[in-house]
Amino acid sequence: MSNNRVSRRQFLGYTLTGVGGFMAAGMLMPMVRFAVDPLLQEKAGGDFILTDQKVADLSEEPVRVDFAFEQVDAWYTSEVTSSAWVYKEGDKLIALSPVCKHLGCTVNWGGDPEHPTQFFCPCHAGRYEKNGKNIAGTPPLGPLDEFAIEDRDGLVALGAVKANTLVK
Amino acid sequence: MHFTGRDIDQYIQQQQYVDTAVIPLVQLDLAPNGLKQSASASDYLQSLTNLLEKQFKGRILLFPPVAYSKNGDRSRLAEEMNAEMRNTEFKHVFYITTDAEWRTFEELNNVLWLPAIPTENMDQSFKLSVMEDQLRQVLPLFIKEWSKPS
Repeated sequence: MSNNRVSRRQFLGYTLTGVGGFMAAGMLMPMVRFAVDPLLQEKAGGDFILTDQKVADLSEEPVRVDFAFEQVDAWYTSEVTSSAWVYKEGDKLIALSPVCKHLGCTVNWGGDPEHPTQFFCPCHAGRYEKNGKNIAGTPPLGPLDEFAIEDRDGLVALGAVKANTLVK
Repeated sequence: MHFTGRDIDQYIQQQQYVDTAVIPLVQLDLAPNGLKQSASASDYLQSLTNLLEKQFKGRILLFPPVAYSKNGDRSRLAEEMNAEMRNTEFKHVFYITTDAEWRTFEELNNVLWLPAIPTENMDQSFKLSVMEDQLRQVLPLFIKEWSKPS
């Protein structure tokens, strides 16, 4: 037996402090959680859309990856299908938007037999290099946009469209 | 481009690039035994033309479907459309329809006739692949028309 025995007064003091502490923590914890929630959200969030394309099947040759999302236009909700040209450069995944920067047609990889390693826009014969750089002398005035892209458990997930970062 | 206020603003600025009009022709058959088929064909045609617009957004202006009754006078409609189109700067005008009667009309140039495929019972991804197959049959006709020396 130890010598410093706990008196009744001390015991009650410890108990009350302990219980009071739990109650205070119970009130403060949710408040702190609510306060920092926006910070945590942004880390986990980002509107990535999962596609059916396996990362392992990708190569240096761009392939078309289709994906669907819901779009609300005033009172009209519709499922919109869209696509991206996805390829690998080393280990890096790259997804380019298929929307021509000229007037918004859909571009195709190797669509012009004379330029099999370029993106081709059939509307006004606009051409882009593999990294999306517009070729001088064709109508487009800027490079193709890029998608944010992630490897999510072996599948390609596409995020927001951003300006091309590959073209220097 | 679509026939909407916003797209027309862009069309007016870029008229030299947008030189092709696409007009869907939709037959309305409202008899009880024709209703379903007519609706389904109209749905098919609109899906197809929307897909076409997406592919060629910068070169075509997609008009809203022109609807007429089953027994309507098609040659009069054709004349009226031709007259209206003469007000525009379009170099190429395509009519696209699932109504077989247009195949015998000489008044309209570039009528694309397609048999309607009922798509209402297909799931989304299957429908998309069917519609893209259909689109692939139509695209070369446009490319061919555009590559003609004018």
